[in-house]
Amino acid sequence: MNDSITFLHSSDWQLGMMRRFLGPDGQARWAQARLDAVMRIGDVAQQTGAAFVVVTGDVFEHNQVERQTILRACEALKRIEVPVVLLPGNHDALEPGSLWSSAQWLGHAPDHVKVVTDSVPFEVVPGVEIVGAPWRSRRPVSDPAAPGYAELSPAPAGTVRVLLAHGQLTSLSGGMSDVPTIDQAALEAAVADGRLHYVGLGDRHSTTEVTDRIWFSGTQEVTAPEETHPGNVLKVTLSAESIEVEPVRVGAWHMVEHHAELYDEESINALEDWFAELPEKERTYVRLAADGSLPLPLLSRLDSLVDSLGEVFASVEKWVKFWTVRPAPDAADLDALQLSGPARAAMEELRQALAGGDEGAGAALTLMHRLARDAG
Amino acid sequence: MRLHRLTLRNFRGVKDRTVDLPGIGTTVIVGDNEVGKSSLVEAFALVFDFPDDSKSTRIRDIQPVGQDVAPEVTVELTLGGRELTYTKRWLKNRSTELSIVDNDGRRQTWTGREAHNEAERLFAENVDPVLWQTLMVGQGQSLILPTPADAEPLITAVTAESGTPVDGASMPLVTAVEHEYLRYWTRGGRPTGDFAKSAQHVASAELAAAQALKAMDEVVADIRRAERLALDLSDLSVRLESHLESVEELRERKKATDEILLRRDSIRSRAETARARLENHTRTRVERERLLAEVSQFTKHETELASRRKDAEKVARKASETVHAAEAALAEVVELKDERRAEVQDVERLVTSLMDRAELDRLLGQQAELVDVRGRIAAAGTVLDGIKVDDELVNALEDARARIVEARAALAAGVPEVVVRRTGAEAVSLSGTGLDAGAGKKVPASLDGEVELLVSGELVVDVPGQVEVRVRAGGEAATLRAVVDEAVRREKDLLKKARVKDLPAARELLRKGDLASAELQEARRTERSLTSGGDPAERIAVLVARLGIAEGEEAADEPAPRQSAAVESVPGQMSLFEQFEPDENAFDFEDLEVPAPMEIGELAVAQRRLENARAGLAEAEGLLRDAEFAAAQARKAADEDRSEAQQARARAELAGERLAAAVAALEAARALLDDAGVETAEVEATGEVEAVLEELTVVQSQVEDAGADEVAGSLADALAVATRLQGQRDVLRDSLRTTEGRLEQSGRDGLATRRDTAELDLAAIRSEHEALKRRADAALRVYETLGRHRAEAQTKYSEPLQTRIEALGRSVYGPSFRVWLDDDLAVAERELDGVRLHVEALSTGAQEQLAIITRLAISHLVSTGEGSVPVIFDDALGWSDKARLRDMGALLGRAGDHGQVIILTCMPDRYEYVPRATFIKLEA
Repeated sequence: MNDSITFLHSSDWQLGMMRRFLGPDGQARWAQARLDAVMRIGDVAQQTGAAFVVVTGDVFEHNQVERQTILRACEALKRIEVPVVLLPGNHDALEPGSLWSSAQWLGHAPDHVKVVTDSVPFEVVPGVEIVGAPWRSRRPVSDPAAPGYAELSPAPAGTVRVLLAHGQLTSLSGGMSDVPTIDQAALEAAVADGRLHYVGLGDRHSTTEVTDRIWFSGTQEVTAPEETHPGNVLKVTLSAESIEVEPVRVGAWHMVEHHAELYDEESINALEDWFAELPEKERTYVRLAADGSLPLPLLSRLDSLVDSLGEVFASVEKWVKFWTVRPAPDAADLDALQLSGPARAAMEELRQALAGGDEGAGAALTLMHRLARDAG
Repeated sequence: MRLHRLTLRNFRGVKDRTVDLPGIGTTVIVGDNEVGKSSLVEAFALVFDFPDDSKSTRIRDIQPVGQDVAPEVTVELTLGGRELTYTKRWLKNRSTELSIVDNDGRRQTWTGREAHNEAERLFAENVDPVLWQTLMVGQGQSLILPTPADAEPLITAVTAESGTPVDGASMPLVTAVEHEYLRYWTRGGRPTGDFAKSAQHVASAELAAAQALKAMDEVVADIRRAERLALDLSDLSVRLESHLESVEELRERKKATDEILLRRDSIRSRAETARARLENHTRTRVERERLLAEVSQFTKHETELASRRKDAEKVARKASETVHAAEAALAEVVELKDERRAEVQDVERLVTSLMDRAELDRLLGQQAELVDVRGRIAAAGTVLDGIKVDDELVNALEDARARIVEARAALAAGVPEVVVRRTGAEAVSLSGTGLDAGAGKKVPASLDGEVELLVSGELVVDVPGQVEVRVRAGGEAATLRAVVDEAVRREKDLLKKARVKDLPAARELLRKGDLASAELQEARRTERSLTSGGDPAERIAVLVARLGIAEGEEAADEPAPRQSAAVESVPGQMSLFEQFEPDENAFDFEDLEVPAPMEIGELAVAQRRLENARAGLAEAEGLLRDAEFAAAQARKAADEDRSEAQQARARAELAGERLAAAVAALEAARALLDDAGVETAEVEATGEVEAVLEELTVVQSQVEDAGADEVAGSLADALAVATRLQGQRDVLRDSLRTTEGRLEQSGRDGLATRRDTAELDLAAIRSEHEALKRRADAALRVYETLGRHRAEAQTKYSEPLQTRIEALGRSVYGPSFRVWLDDDLAVAERELDGVRLHVEALSTGAQEQLAIITRLAISHLVSTGEGSVPVIFDDALGWSDKARLRDMGALLGRAGDHGQVIILTCMPDRYEYVPRATFIKLEA
């Protein structure tokens, strides 16, 4: 395999992205983590002897990101010592006003970084030809990868050709995409007839192998709990005859969803344990769904628990849409407060309203319970 | 607690006094000011509060001023079922003694400090201080409404009765709930604190996010615009390029065709010159022809007009002659008409004169008749004026006569009737007064024979020398005589008034008057009929003047007045005839020389003549109208003919002038070129034009073969299009540059990041606000729910006291009286006759009454329990009127049925209506 070449494939850095569920503090740390992951790609390149790095689209979250984001991205790119080829995607398309033509980018981009602005093949390192299909608009009218290889003839002998493209595959989108998708069969045909040797795709945040030579690298750092395999860069070792692709983790954050059934003290304990076992809590966002019903003291405990977890984790969010934990006050709860007269009558009224489905009464009852307990 | 006896010694102004109080019922302690009523209350307080060794100023103050004596108080009371006798002396010979007899009759005694402590303990154990303070109303405190919520006996009683225990245990919760509520809401229910601030933050963040989003939307719109512009520009550039190529091709073709076009232009120029020359010659020919025709036409015209002029002048002369003839005929007819009119006027005058004569004859007859009638009127008037007798006067006279007869008869019957007869020869003379011989006979002075006399006065019969007899009438005689005299006098008066001698004369005169009246009426009717058409005299005067009849000489003598005798020998009666004075202005008919009446046929003849004359005049007037019309017609025709002749003359002269001018112009033109030369020049010019046009046709076919004209047009069109396309391209390019410039700027501004940041902030702030809102809503719900339940409990809890206050109050104010209590069981509002007022809004009197009623209600409520205490009023009811005093008195009296009520007052009359009260009078 003397003629094989190693490079790194990444995509969807989406620098400048914001996540409201993280809150201002979490957002700042997470944004920095995404840059750190880019820098770690530089480390991986060094460690693996990669000849260059390709990023297949959506380097930036938007063409109109703030100056600071661009400058910090340039700084991070400087930490990658090999040539870096960037492909404009749907988020940072080569549309009018694109940041790629802005003074901020042109003035600060490191020399070893090349932005693909057309579909003319070029040699990135000897023996490796790159052809890209950059997005020229956020609303393409046809297969966004096709311009990259439609007119190509097979690669010259001794040259491997890498296509950089961005978009969802027709086969993976299930026909649900509202923008044109990439024709997987056509891609495979181009690979089969020797026009292409590797197809690096972007847009899908989870690392995904489409075929042995067609890959989504996934995002370098997780952006949502739904992503199944984010936080990697692909180490690609390629020749005309062979290919080896290896995901290398560069991300440091976790975003998880959890669903809890809460009905007694034990279930609360179990939830507490689940949280306790999560690693790297300060870099973890948990979207928590729960249903069930709890006696008032346990409900208070649950509230306190979530509040305190929020202090430890990057963010713990009650998933409002799937949060249906109801207070279930029993007579014993109220008796324990030893209330009498109007206070007892008021509490009883709220309890009955809650039983009748009045959600507001639940919150009021919980509050009154807490106040009575504290006052007593 | 019940008070039984109180003894004060050396206590302020009281040297030594004991007051016994009934254990139950109402006691009124009466005393003047300064007599020490309030000292009783004070003593009771001090004996429990201050030990005998106290140095308090309150103790020093009770020592009588300037006396070195020891104030001492003994109180006997029942307390917690025990009988206490408690004595204390302060300042000098201090001592305290307490003696207690319990329920079982066992007695215990303490002295000194022990006694004080034990008494204090028992008091504290059995008397609730709040209730004690509530029910003991000091001087000047009667207006204060009690707030008895903390009085234990009251709480016990209320709880027992309402079944609602006081919920003191919940108070910390209530406070906590309120505290929690006030974290989020004002008492008025508006958001406050962090909650309110967070709502504001949300609003600000929403605004910021909306602005950032809008800015970003504008960027996206710019991107779309730039994309579209770039596409349009690219399309346009392609079109422009291909167009410019076709422009170049057209330019090459044009160069080749330009030479032919040049030649054609030269021939066109020559053709223009030849055509101009031909036009010039043709114009000259046409002008010559026109001149010739003009001379010929004008000559003919001139001849024709001269002939017409002659004809017209002839006609005009003839018309003038006709006018003269018509005017002569007219003059004749005018003369005839004037003659006939004069005749008519003569005959009209004659007829008028005849008619006047006939009228004069009639009027003169009428006038004579009128004079006669007026004479009769005057005569009858004179007669009537002389007669003074009427029916009434005649009746009065008849009446008077009858009375005379009656009176005389009465006189005859009532006086002596004396018959004197001369029997001898001696002369018998009769004399006396009131003698009546009857029937108008005279009493003879000397009697011859016999005479009968009625004597109403005195009769003296004297036979001289013989006898004298005097007969005197009785008392009645004079009266009867006077009646007769009166009757006679009245008749005389009436006759005088009637100016007649007696009654028959009066009757005759009355008949004559009636006749004269009838005559007068008839004459006046006649006069009215004669003068109904006006006074005939005036018309006669007019007619006489008109007819020219002369008046004769005035008569020299007045006519003698005509007189006739009517009634004669009436004394005093004036003449029945007066002179008739004729009107001086009346026409004097006597002197009129009236012609004999005319003959009957004379007027008819004259009228027939008049008709004939008038017919003649009408005929002449008809002739005149015809002649006038004929003359006017002739004049008008003559005028028209004259005017026609003048016009014909003018036209003939004008035609002559125009002919002369045309001839002159023709001669002048011929002097330049004769008629044949003009024709030759035109033929030559025509030939020249035809030759050049032939040349032009040849070259034009060459132009068409080469398409030279189209090439030039196409090139011009193509250049115009190219210019337009270039302009469009420039506009597009500028727009694109502008949009791109804007986008570059917005890229530098990082608008997407700004938008994302704004949305992130908004989400965080919103989330925080929603959490706060959930808490705020929960706090509100708890606050409201608990508040409602507390209010309900409060209402129930206060019910027993409220019920009693209302029951007592209704006995004073009637059934509409209601009260509402607050949390402290104090009366907050009162309703009377449907008007609900806060207690502070009540009158002073009403407030005091309500304060007393409330205390009595409290006392009543606690009376059954262990903790009851006396109700003490020191000087109350000072604000109530008499009617209320009666009701309040009854209330205070009834209050004694349930406990001890003690009233201290210096005004016993305020309490005179308190039934069954014990009055204790304190003397100084």
